[in-house]
Amino acid sequence: MAIRDIFEKDFQELEAEGILFSTIKGLVAWGRSNSLWPATFGLACCAIEMMQSTNSRNDLARFGSEVFRASPRQADVMIVAGRLSKKMAPVMRRVYDQMPDPKWVISMGACASSGGMFNNYAVVQNVNSVVPVDIFVPGCPPRPEALVYGVMQLQKKVRGQVFDQEGIALPMVEGWSQ
Amino acid sequence: MSDETRLLEVVLKDLEAAGGKKSEFKGMVSVNFERKTILEAVGVVRDHGFNHLSDIFGIDYESYPGHQGPRFTVAYNLYAIAEGERLFLRVDLNETEELPTLTGFWRGANFMEREVFDMFGISFQGHPNLRKIITPEDLDGHPHRKDFPLDETATLFNEGRFLDPAAFRAGMMGRDPGLTGWAGGARKGVRSGNMSGVDASQKETE
Amino acid sequence: MSIPNTGYDVREISRETTGSFDTRHMRINVGPQHPSTHGVLRLVVDLDGERIARIMPQIGYLHTGFEKTMENRTYQQGVTYSNRMDYLHGFGHDLAYVLSVETLMDAQVPERAQRARVILTELNRIASHLVFLGTGILDMGALTLFFYTMRERERLLDIFELVSGVRMNYGYFRVGGLSTDLPEGFESAVREFISEFPTMMEQYATMFVQNDIFVNRTKGVGVISQDLALDYCLTGPSLRASGVSLDFRKAQPYSGYESYVFDVPTSEEGDAYARFMMRFLEMEQSLAIVKQALDALEPGPIKDPDRRISLPPRHELENSMEAVIFHFKLVTEGFHPPRGEVYVATESARGELGYYLVSDGGSMPYRVKVRVPSLINLQSLEPACVGALFADMVVNIATMDPVMGDVDK
Repeated sequence: MAIRDIFEKDFQELEAEGILFSTIKGLVAWGRSNSLWPATFGLACCAIEMMQSTNSRNDLARFGSEVFRASPRQADVMIVAGRLSKKMAPVMRRVYDQMPDPKWVISMGACASSGGMFNNYAVVQNVNSVVPVDIFVPGCPPRPEALVYGVMQLQKKVRGQVFDQEGIALPMVEGWSQ
Repeated sequence: MSDETRLLEVVLKDLEAAGGKKSEFKGMVSVNFERKTILEAVGVVRDHGFNHLSDIFGIDYESYPGHQGPRFTVAYNLYAIAEGERLFLRVDLNETEELPTLTGFWRGANFMEREVFDMFGISFQGHPNLRKIITPEDLDGHPHRKDFPLDETATLFNEGRFLDPAAFRAGMMGRDPGLTGWAGGARKGVRSGNMSGVDASQKETE
Repeated sequence: MSIPNTGYDVREISRETTGSFDTRHMRINVGPQHPSTHGVLRLVVDLDGERIARIMPQIGYLHTGFEKTMENRTYQQGVTYSNRMDYLHGFGHDLAYVLSVETLMDAQVPERAQRARVILTELNRIASHLVFLGTGILDMGALTLFFYTMRERERLLDIFELVSGVRMNYGYFRVGGLSTDLPEGFESAVREFISEFPTMMEQYATMFVQNDIFVNRTKGVGVISQDLALDYCLTGPSLRASGVSLDFRKAQPYSGYESYVFDVPTSEEGDAYARFMMRFLEMEQSLAIVKQALDALEPGPIKDPDRRISLPPRHELENSMEAVIFHFKLVTEGFHPPRGEVYVATESARGELGYYLVSDGGSMPYRVKVRVPSLINLQSLEPACVGALFADMVVNIATMDPVMGDVDK
């Protein structure tokens, strides 16, 4: 097929012949959303459910999270799984800072999202005050299916397909808007 | 069976001879000692066969109704593995008093005493590494003391009202809730006839 | 602080290998965010080459203030807090807490509730040991066994979900018994599990018991002698691996354990291999207990009928005014135990677990002190790791099986 066909034929015909049209931004977003590698940041009980979401019954790897990277420098998303104590908060900020851009944060569980049932001197009441959170997953602990749903919502957000109540698109990376 | 009771009886006799005061509650035996004699008492108990130190912990009796005497109590939870007997040794302390360390008898007393120091501020003389163990370095104070607040943050709702957990709990229990911290303003969409004097279109605080 | 004598002098080896070189120890930091520290455990390690000269665990990165928070909640609400400490053996903590309160209240727990509690606690012990097995071997680099044990654990979590509605962090036990009766499919689900689990255990055994790599990495590693184990106040399977047969289910039986026939595996070796095998063999014994308890399960009440502790059944609320008052009092204020202090020692998957409750006669406990096994077991890292290779430290942490929620409370 001649190159001239690309300019002359209708794009639907070309799609039927196997040429895909997209924007660079769309392609990059598609690539990023389908290969989100989490950094291991399991703190407490939610970490066990996060482990369970990687087992053979609820396989998180089929959504692109093939490996949980131990080093934050090789990770895309940080799943804060568990209660964040005030002693751990600076460590968490450091790990977050070590992640290369673009990076996302999923706050998993009630304790990470709001302090959960621990409304006291030792637990940070919302992880959002330490790192910019993209997705909050409720539950105590959230089922693996709930975490997978959260990851899927993050995928949609990364592709720019998520809108808030007024119809404004949510930023792709929460950290860039703060 | 007679062997076991003999061990506890024998130990109790020796302890009472050394100045301890025995008390019992629902099968648990505790012996009170003075600060100066506790180390010797632990040695006596250990020689009799109580070879497992379960726990060392503190209790702050400041707001215990009807409590007279020193503020803190440090209790030692000892267990004899062969005979299956448990014994509690207790010391009553005031705020600035110190206790001798048990790390000479059991090296495992290290973390236990550090926790008591962290949570209550009770120092142990002779401890190899007496410093905070569980709370963050920048936390001043000793959390398990009764005058250390729980630091509950109020629950804030979108419409501006907030719930103070302690007051809410007190109200539930029938105690005086104090000022409940109603920030005013009606909820969106609520038209309540009783809310005279409250402007429903008040600017909501976030 | 003197380095405990493990029969190995780091300085001598250093002199032999480096001769006249002037070497210094290197201090490195492991964690708190680290894949193999089993949670947020931070270790500051002084290394002499590849050998550990000194190891100092720094904990507190998961401190949640459980004890102080539980002092501001009613006794019944405490059940929601207790299982989040050691989240892998949640029922064990629930049982210990509930037993303490029941001792304080002199509550009579009916037979059926006691047997159901034992079944669930032992199944949870198996689940906890499965996680130990999977993550322990994962730390040594083998991934397959992790997926196999997680598969079995999913089946156990299905049973727990059937009973309590939650996979983890249950709120099923109540002071005086259980919250609701065991559902219809419970017995068949548990029997199915009992019949299939031994084959699974054989499958695991073929993968690691005779495996060269596993044996080389764990045999003779991290030896803790019997005297040292008692000195460091170790409890649980690690203590039994060092030769002391202490199991509180046999020594101070609670909740009907004296009526079940089971062994307590012990070993004289005291190395990491023994600690692994102890937990592995304990799973078999737990299964035997579950089978016996399930066979003895009879229909009956599941709560202490004392109205001061348990909520009255719903149909009574229609007829009796006292029932309504009891219900109201229990739901808003909770019950008031008599003044006093109690402690009940139980055996959790990690060691001796007990709740020391001080009651002042009010509806909330005055002081809750949890004797957590993991915090005290963690001190035994010292004799196990000093003089050992750095890679052995990972194995030692895995076999000590700490759960940081338990350690930091």
